[in-house]
Amino acid sequence: MSDPLIQLFSEVLGVSAEKLSDVSSPDNTSQWDSLAAMHLVAAIESKYSIRLSTKEIMKMSSIGTARKVLLDKNISL
Amino acid sequence: MSVADPGKVWRKFKSGGGASPDITVGIAASVTAEPIESYLGAYLLGRGFKHPRLTFGPFNQLPQVCRNHVQAFGDTPDAIVLLWRTEDLFADLLAEPDKALAAVNDLGDALSILRRNFSGTIIVSAPPYPTVPDFDVRQIDQTFMGAALSSRIRDLWMSRVASIERVRMIDLQALQTQAGIDASFDPRKWYLYRQPWTEPFWDSVGTQIGRLVAAERLSAKKCIVLDADNTLWGGIIGEDGIEGIALGNEFPGSAYRDFQKYLLHLQRRGVLLAVASKNNPADFYDVMDRHDAMVLRREHFAALEIHWDSKIESIRRVAKDLNIGLDSIVFVDDSPKEIGEVQERLPDVTCVLVPEETAELPYCLAGTDYFDLPEITEEDKRRTEMIRADRSRKELHETMSEEEFKAALGLEMTLFRVDKQHLARITQLVNKTNQFNLTTIRRSADEIEALMRSPNHMVLGMELRDKYGDYGLVGVSILERAKENCVIDTMLMSCRVLGRDAETAFIAQVAKVAGGWKCKTIEGRYVPTAKNAMVKDLYPAHGFEKAANDGVWVARPENITKSPPHAKVKVVL
Repeated sequence: MSDPLIQLFSEVLGVSAEKLSDVSSPDNTSQWDSLAAMHLVAAIESKYSIRLSTKEIMKMSSIGTARKVLLDKNISL
Repeated sequence: MSVADPGKVWRKFKSGGGASPDITVGIAASVTAEPIESYLGAYLLGRGFKHPRLTFGPFNQLPQVCRNHVQAFGDTPDAIVLLWRTEDLFADLLAEPDKALAAVNDLGDALSILRRNFSGTIIVSAPPYPTVPDFDVRQIDQTFMGAALSSRIRDLWMSRVASIERVRMIDLQALQTQAGIDASFDPRKWYLYRQPWTEPFWDSVGTQIGRLVAAERLSAKKCIVLDADNTLWGGIIGEDGIEGIALGNEFPGSAYRDFQKYLLHLQRRGVLLAVASKNNPADFYDVMDRHDAMVLRREHFAALEIHWDSKIESIRRVAKDLNIGLDSIVFVDDSPKEIGEVQERLPDVTCVLVPEETAELPYCLAGTDYFDLPEITEEDKRRTEMIRADRSRKELHETMSEEEFKAALGLEMTLFRVDKQHLARITQLVNKTNQFNLTTIRRSADEIEALMRSPNHMVLGMELRDKYGDYGLVGVSILERAKENCVIDTMLMSCRVLGRDAETAFIAQVAKVAGGWKCKTIEGRYVPTAKNAMVKDLYPAHGFEKAANDGVWVARPENITKSPPHAKVKVVL
């Protein structure tokens, strides 16, 4: 099974996991619009049972930066 | 009753792609409403809709959406949902309350326009309590007018909505009270996405809207079959005796008493109550008839199965006796073993296990969608009484021949053109009648209302009474005039009135109406379903002849079987 975070983004964005990597961002992924960003935050918070601050949310400008935010919160990915 | 992991359920459904929708809901809100999608969508899937489609109108433009709903949603949905918050209506509420009230009136005007132009289901919110800081409910300043202003706005809106026909309400303040402001408001999401609510709150809003949408289209449960020991009272009557069981003013007896009170509330709204209890009948009836604290008495029950046969057998008998499907039964028992067996053998029955915590028992049915009805009709309220009258008829029947019985009943039938006051009951019959239903065409209240206004249609209702009482409105026929041919689009009758030749009187009078339209032929159709085999020969048995097309029967009005002599008939058009 692929990386769980990529898997989550793939499900929510409706983009196959092979097409996603840590460099994926709204700039290179057309499905990642502002509504999708909102759904992604809800899905991440629900999956890892965490509450992200607005600062953390605003840092998540790519899958890689999202990963860093989650690792900094001691989420094991 | 929200769905487990709605996000996943809904994403999986959406990735399945595009069959044509069986229900479309358009949602417009004063906030970003898209988080509702998975909750509402998954709820509708869970209720058996196959392809729900949800569309979203523009952000915070409710009056415009009302004035041009087709443009807002791209097409005409089956249901339109409008959600708004007071603080989105007008920025500085406390400084200029009159402007906020004016904005509410504007929205009310727009809603009337939507009602005129859109015949589907309309669901509007009553606004939640504002969650702006100057409305904080904990301030102690006695000049604080926030709560009063919020109530004024709410009252004005409620009265505007009440003056417009058939608008359903989702009370966001009530849901907010259930959840609490802190558990429902999420300032992070508000500032980031213009969406103010937590996921659990969206879940409750989505579920509530789903219930309103579903209630107009699906059947509610009709009957609760209850265990007795440790369900209607605490303890076991056969062991503890009438003095030893828990039922009364002190806990745990008070919880059982309150559960009975809630069951009585449901019974008054038309839900049938039954007991399936493994007990000696003498012990059981001793409590039912003589225990001071019993809220429910014999007259509240439509069926009592008190013996040592299995619960499965009892539930089957109740269904047969009350002439309802197993899928309209809710079974409540404290024994996981009994619940398990019923679930396995009668999977259509909805099972509810009595909560481990007795204090929760009174609430165990209150939050469910089992008994959701868009409106409660007079027929609903009198259902138990009517079933008991039926018992008396049966007893009469046993003492005499078929013909004597029919004559002795003193049947009186009234056929009439229905108007708005009958709409709720007509809609109920059209959507719920399975067995005596020739075409089983389901229609919403709006569709039926449109047919009532159509010059080429006639929506007829049939009321029946006899010496044991009033059956109420029990038959519906919808006629369509196609030049000199009259098509019986809908012909249905409640099963409670079968076996009295009421159907013969009904068809004869419908034929008369068609004759009045100067139609030379009457065309009836039989469309077979899994449940309506009992009427497959109805038309040939009443003077109709087979037409070229399968399932179509034709008659000249004069050849249709006349009303039976024992029935008095009256036609009011």
